[in-house]
Amino acid sequence: MDSIKYCNELLSRLETLAYHELSGMIHWKCEYVGVDFIRAKQIVGKNVNEIVTNCCKAITEGGIANEITYKLGPDGVMLKLKIKGCIHHPKEVQTRAEGIAPYLCPVANMVLDQIHEKLKYTTSYLTKLAIDSDNKQCLVYMALYETASKIGQVSDWLADDEDADFVRNQPSQILAAEDRKKQ
Amino acid sequence: MPEFLDVLTSRKSIRRYNPDPIPDEMLDKILEAARWAPTGENYQPWRFIVVRDQETRNKIGDLSRQGSGSRMTAWYCLNELQQRFEGIEDPVKRAEVLEFMYSGRVSEFCKQAPVVIAVIGDLRVGSVDVPYDLCAAIENMLLQAHSMGLGACWVHGPVASTRDAKRFKEILGIPTGMGDYKVISFIAFGYPKEQRKHPRPKLPLKEMVYWEKFGNKERI
Repeated sequence: MDSIKYCNELLSRLETLAYHELSGMIHWKCEYVGVDFIRAKQIVGKNVNEIVTNCCKAITEGGIANEITYKLGPDGVMLKLKIKGCIHHPKEVQTRAEGIAPYLCPVANMVLDQIHEKLKYTTSYLTKLAIDSDNKQCLVYMALYETASKIGQVSDWLADDEDADFVRNQPSQILAAEDRKKQ
Repeated sequence: MPEFLDVLTSRKSIRRYNPDPIPDEMLDKILEAARWAPTGENYQPWRFIVVRDQETRNKIGDLSRQGSGSRMTAWYCLNELQQRFEGIEDPVKRAEVLEFMYSGRVSEFCKQAPVVIAVIGDLRVGSVDVPYDLCAAIENMLLQAHSMGLGACWVHGPVASTRDAKRFKEILGIPTGMGDYKVISFIAFGYPKEQRKHPRPKLPLKEMVYWEKFGNKERI
């Protein structure tokens, strides 16, 4: 049996059913999916760069993704992951085929979890999960808030982003009605 | 006695309150209204925590601000929040509204509310309807409060994420096991400081009602 395929089919069904049950609210309730793997890896790091680097290393060495690169915004709020060759990518494709924008990314959850666990950040938020099926990669945009004072610190994340055009055309968590109009 | 529909249609969410305390008799009526909400198989899974302590309300308010602000800051940085509010033509006003949103201040009003009631569900009682029952109880409480001249607003935001829900439970001493209690919302109550304006525009019935089959808008 292809256990990865089986796992992705289970995850996609759960993702679809949970969205149907809770609508967009489910985006905010899956943050612990994936954390068990990374918590077992004894990740260490004194800052975000070290934590993210070591998480990505553990995730790729564990065979979950082939390559993960990341970019940290100058103010430390934005964290962008570019994940290539993820074993969960077929899950995203299956969920999208059901008419639902995928929202559950175990890799992102792992990274955020360790930022919370090891650096004691106040909060964080996974705001964009853009699936690029053509290139078998995902672009994940997250906000990191080391302290409450970081909340409200705004900037234009896509101003110098090489993937800006692609990301702007991806489904939004809050503009669904507008997205439908575009379609 | 007013028409019940008049009570329903004149209610709106109130987020600014006078500091006057809410008498116990009014509070008891609000809780009594919750008690009579419909509940599957009469399980009554709801539990209520009445919070008057300012320090506790401040903590809940901070958590609320953090929850809304963390999301809206991110949406703003992707230029999505701006699109949601592009209907506000005055750029100064629009900027003020956006800052109010992404700072999270939009959600910290429970600090000024004399009473906050946390609505939680006991997941151990066997009910399969916990979140639905709780929402029915919340609506009863909002309507009872409004009928007595109180303002109220129910908020799910601060407990929306699993991590924040755990923090909310810790503030109020609620067991944090995932199989113990579901925290679904808090409701802020107080005498309204803001005028009740005309209800926000609602979709006409013809846009939401179908007759006999989905999509059939003609009354048969």
